[in-house]
Amino acid sequence: MNLAFRDIRYHGFKFFSSTLGVSLLIMVVVTIGGIIRGVILDSSTLIESTGAELWVVQKNGAHPGVGTYGPFVEISRLPESIYHAISVIPGVAEAGPIVTAWEHVPQIMRPTPLMKFMYLNALLNTQTMVKPGWMAVPRVRFIVVGYEPGRIGGPPVIVAGRGIEASHYEIVADVKTGFHVGQRVRLGNFDYTVVGLTRHMVGFTADPVIYMSLRDAQNYLFQTQPDLLRSEQAVARQHAAQLAATSPRLIPAVVAHDEARLANTLYINAIAVKLRPGANVQAIAAHIRRWEHLAVYTDAQAVNMQLMGSNRLILFQLALFRDILVLIAGLVIGIIIYSFTLDKVHEIAILKLLGARGGVVYRMILQEALFMGIVSALVGSALELLSEPYYPRRVVATSGDIVQMLVAMSVVAAVASILAVRRAMRIDPRSVLSTR
Amino acid sequence: MSTPQPKATAPIEMPESFAIQTEGLGKVYGKGANRVEAVKGIDLVVRSGDLTVIMGPSGSGKTTLLTLLGLVDQPTTGRLVLGGRDIYAGTPPDLAHIRNTEIGFVFQTPNLIPFLTAKENVLLPLSFAGVRGKPAEDRVQKLLDYLEIAERRAQHYPNQLSGGEQQRVAVARALANNPRIILADEPTASLDTDRALAVVRLLRRVSQTNGAAVLLVTHDHRLLGEVDEVIEMEDGRIASRRVVGQDGLARSQARSAQPESDG
Ligand SMILES: Nc1ncnc2c1ncn2[C@@H]1O[C@H](COP(=O)(O)OP(=O)(O)OP(=O)(O)O)[C@@H](O)[C@H]1O
Ligand SMILES: [Mg+2]
Repeated sequence: MNLAFRDIRYHGFKFFSSTLGVSLLIMVVVTIGGIIRGVILDSSTLIESTGAELWVVQKNGAHPGVGTYGPFVEISRLPESIYHAISVIPGVAEAGPIVTAWEHVPQIMRPTPLMKFMYLNALLNTQTMVKPGWMAVPRVRFIVVGYEPGRIGGPPVIVAGRGIEASHYEIVADVKTGFHVGQRVRLGNFDYTVVGLTRHMVGFTADPVIYMSLRDAQNYLFQTQPDLLRSEQAVARQHAAQLAATSPRLIPAVVAHDEARLANTLYINAIAVKLRPGANVQAIAAHIRRWEHLAVYTDAQAVNMQLMGSNRLILFQLALFRDILVLIAGLVIGIIIYSFTLDKVHEIAILKLLGARGGVVYRMILQEALFMGIVSALVGSALELLSEPYYPRRVVATSGDIVQMLVAMSVVAAVASILAVRRAMRIDPRSVLSTR
Repeated sequence: MSTPQPKATAPIEMPESFAIQTEGLGKVYGKGANRVEAVKGIDLVVRSGDLTVIMGPSGSGKTTLLTLLGLVDQPTTGRLVLGGRDIYAGTPPDLAHIRNTEIGFVFQTPNLIPFLTAKENVLLPLSFAGVRGKPAEDRVQKLLDYLEIAERRAQHYPNQLSGGEQQRVAVARALANNPRIILADEPTASLDTDRALAVVRLLRRVSQTNGAAVLLVTHDHRLLGEVDEVIEMEDGRIASRRVVGQDGLARSQARSAQPESDG
């Protein structure tokens, strides 16, 4: 006769409401773990998705040899032509020029009810600290990534539509932008057509990425604004007019210089380098470093810098917070099981009087505790997985997290029930024999 | 019922029909100023098939004696022989097994397991003894019939049964493994006279038909008409023993200076 099953059946509400409470705690623990992993993935997918082993950026003038933030963050400007030179280094399979910057466009999507709720909730939680209207900005912030179509650096997966094929005015956007395939989006002075969607391509701030061709990105990001261009051109003409009086022979050179300065968009921000199998990463990096103005990072360095420079302290806090939650969850489950068991001292004493061996009592309590621990770990994990898509940032729990919870819950449940039974077994059976 | 063989090492000079025999049985609780000699030098013989009543004032050691006889507590001194086996001589036997198969407890309150149905409560000692399936079902059905517990009631949880019904289920549970010894500590205290008499008649019937030795602690003199022997305890000792007939007539063996006026 399985006593654990019968006890659970009889105390169904008490048992399952406690299990549900524990499940919610576990859901929170798994979610925090998922948030941590989400921050790490958001900080690294853009770099890792390219498959590049090395990243080349401009050397930091103030701290030569010291990288500050790595690709996608660092202020870095390189002449476009350098990537050709890098792609012919022995051992290099491919080198791709990358242009990148933060931009924003007016928000076209209406916020979902969930987003509105989160906005109100954030307002409630921060209203004493922030200025009014801080979150109401109706904009999509995104990161423009320009790459040479056909080369390294483009979107790793297309979940709808296709990749960029034409050399101009086509973009691939992350689904998080809310754009759809075929939509026309005005960026700067031009209309672009969304030809494809990608997923999980965001920067460390969780802003989605919009991919476009290198030329489009350079035009969009580096081209001087028309008004500014006109006024600069006027200044240049004035300049030339003044020169006409004093040193007319210099005019062609000065004009050419000004025009080049105003029109030149042939810059890139970084170069992604993919090596041939078996190539020596360090040797090639050393080779590239011989260019005085270039800095080189390995993939790991680039990812780490991104994490270190951006979300490092948030990760520290989240990790500590997770420890605390794990502790609380463990304590709560332990206490629930302990007190459930001590609630049964009387029954345990009766069982002993009826000739139950210790094993019978241990088995009953242990089975109930393990059942509660395992069910709540599973239910908590399931709730977490179901809720993941609704968070504004990426939350990613793995099967490893769930196994970890299962093991932790089982251990806590087992320890709590053994301690509780040991305590309960000390009850004087006389308390059953006669009520005094 | 499986009866373990008596130990060859323990020489017993009493017939098998003695279910319980004690010699100088004593129990001391606490130490120093808190020391209480709850039971002192009890010499007792209870025959199989006898219904013996233990009476005595509160604190005289009745419950303590039952805990010793029921292997719930270890005596401080003396010898205890159950079914021909000297319990505390030599290697200790499996006390849980003996409690389960050879001793039935009936308590003052029914003490049913609340999360088991009446039927499951009766099944419990059988399950501990390893009796399962059809034999267990048959045995439980027989006991429920014997105690006139309707099939429908048997599916109920204890808190859905009346006090009397609960006590009958408790008796059925005590009888499950057909024990040689039944120990009942004031089982009728919470019942009215009719129900109390019914329980005692039931125990009487069990002792006669199954040959079990029944020890019944009670304060209720109305029940004495049903019993074979009355033991009067006082201050941890047996003050008197009276053998009474089925007709309620006292027979010999009065040891006390002041014989009881009723009986
Ligand atoms: N666990 C214990 N520790 C210390 N003293 C105890 C313990 N159990 C019983 N006693 C003492 O032993 C004595 C006998 O108690 P016992 O319960 O056997 O009496 P009783 O005859 O059953 O009384 P009642 O009629 O009230 O049930 C009492 O003085 C009691 O206080
Ligand atoms: Mg008592």
